[in-house]
Amino acid sequence: MPTATQEISETLIRENINRAVCDVFKTMLHRPAKLAQASITGGVHDRQVGLREEDLANHPQVVGTVGFLGEINGLIYLYFDGAFAKHCTCEMLGMTPAELEAAGDEVINDAIGEITNMTVGSFKNGLNDHGFPCKLTIPSILRGRNFCIEPISDSQRFVYLFESEGQRFVADILLKCGE
Amino acid sequence: MRTKILTVDDSKTVRIIVRKSFKNYDCEILEAANGVEGLALAAKAMPDLILLDVTMPVMDGVEMLSKLKADPQLKGIPVMMLTAEGGRDHVLKIAKIGVRDYIVKPFAEGVLIEKAGRIIQLAAHAEVSAKARLLTDPATILVVDDKPAIIQQIQDGLLHTSWTVLSVASQSEALTFCDKTPPELVIVSLSLPEESAFELFRHLRANTKTKNIPVFGLVVKTDSSTLQQAQTAGFTAVITKPIDAAELESRITRAMNLDTSERYYGIEEGCFIMKMPENCSLAILAEIATYLRPKLTEAVDAGYTKAIINVQSLKSLHMGVIKQLVQAMQLCKESGLNFVLVGNKQLMAECKGFEETRSWIFHETMDEAKASFSKAPQLASV
Repeated sequence: MPTATQEISETLIRENINRAVCDVFKTMLHRPAKLAQASITGGVHDRQVGLREEDLANHPQVVGTVGFLGEINGLIYLYFDGAFAKHCTCEMLGMTPAELEAAGDEVINDAIGEITNMTVGSFKNGLNDHGFPCKLTIPSILRGRNFCIEPISDSQRFVYLFESEGQRFVADILLKCGE
Repeated sequence: MRTKILTVDDSKTVRIIVRKSFKNYDCEILEAANGVEGLALAAKAMPDLILLDVTMPVMDGVEMLSKLKADPQLKGIPVMMLTAEGGRDHVLKIAKIGVRDYIVKPFAEGVLIEKAGRIIQLAAHAEVSAKARLLTDPATILVVDDKPAIIQQIQDGLLHTSWTVLSVASQSEALTFCDKTPPELVIVSLSLPEESAFELFRHLRANTKTKNIPVFGLVVKTDSSTLQQAQTAGFTAVITKPIDAAELESRITRAMNLDTSERYYGIEEGCFIMKMPENCSLAILAEIATYLRPKLTEAVDAGYTKAIINVQSLKSLHMGVIKQLVQAMQLCKESGLNFVLVGNKQLMAECKGFEETRSWIFHETMDEAKASFSKAPQLASV
């Protein structure tokens, strides 16, 4: 059984996150999603592209996070623009924008947390089937603007930019190296 | 009693989606945010089904499931996992503790309904609360047969009804049709190749969307083994060929639970009308009796004071008919309705032969009967 992060190929990561994101968007949000660009930092696949600069501009962001622990350890962040997060919540829960407004941000947080949980769950199940069993952590949400999340030095980072009917969102995967 | 479904998930989003998924069904959805709350609610409400997540704070789904299965009071409640944890080892471990099904998130609402429907009885709200459909309401009947002549016979036989008879030639076409737009009734030829009629029947019954659709089998009268096989399988009815259109219509009416009262009751020129058909079999008399009191009450409630009991079409008198007429007249009297009878000559003559009917006075036409209300009252004695 493979045990180290280095043994996981970028292809496996990319294929898994692409499948997971597309599956969740299609099933829960009834819209397609397409992988547009990738940027990898650290490890043998290092190929950095500035994907998130525009997201770090003055737009409100809703970021869902779920971790996975086991034969491989890491975190996945899904970055949604605030307006897109609202749209996804309405679609998933069958709510009108007015109903969502009345329900408050807590509902958006929970919906984005669940989209992230489903995506990371699906990603992790794919890793399980390739010999990297692990468990999910409970989702959390980060909200705000003009912030960035930086990994510690011994981690590998895979950033994937997705497009869905004109909307863009980012899956940021951090893997802990050398275990 | 409403079906109770307990959803145990720390995500409010998932609980809302579950509630939304079952909104068209007569279900009560109970919610718990973790295993501890879930166990307490299960013990209190004894739900018919538990939908259980795995990763939750306080007590996770695996622990809750283990405790549930260790409790003699609760261990019989079926559990379906609804979780993002879908790794093979994980699923096997949970399956060993005892679950009825396992759905890995993301999930389509249709899949949830479909799988839940295999464990519990799901009744659509419409089935529970809707008024009975009327004979004149449109309905779609799907005929599955590869013989155009039979399809034509059925279409011709039901031409006068408000039903649309559509046809397909094979099991696969029928399944596609039913999945897209479930018809009100399916008639399938039992002589389709490779027992595909039975296969179709099993598929329809296994699908929540179609499991309540009445399914008729069509078989040649002499093929008693197939007829018996269909009855054993649970077909709603088996129609024998050559097809008797009147019998087919009557069976469809019963299978679709249609309100047939308008065949026997109505309002005409300010009068409540009760009409008996040419042949009054026991089944028809039972139908007439079922609607008599409610229809009469409805008429009185609406302000009608005159009633005409029309037996002009009736071919012959027998005890069943006499009892029904006596009951109708009695109810009219009790309700304060001024009533008259309309009959034919043969019937009038037959009435002279029975003690109960000897004194009955009939009008020969409806017009005469209606006109009689403006004259002195001519109540038949009961």
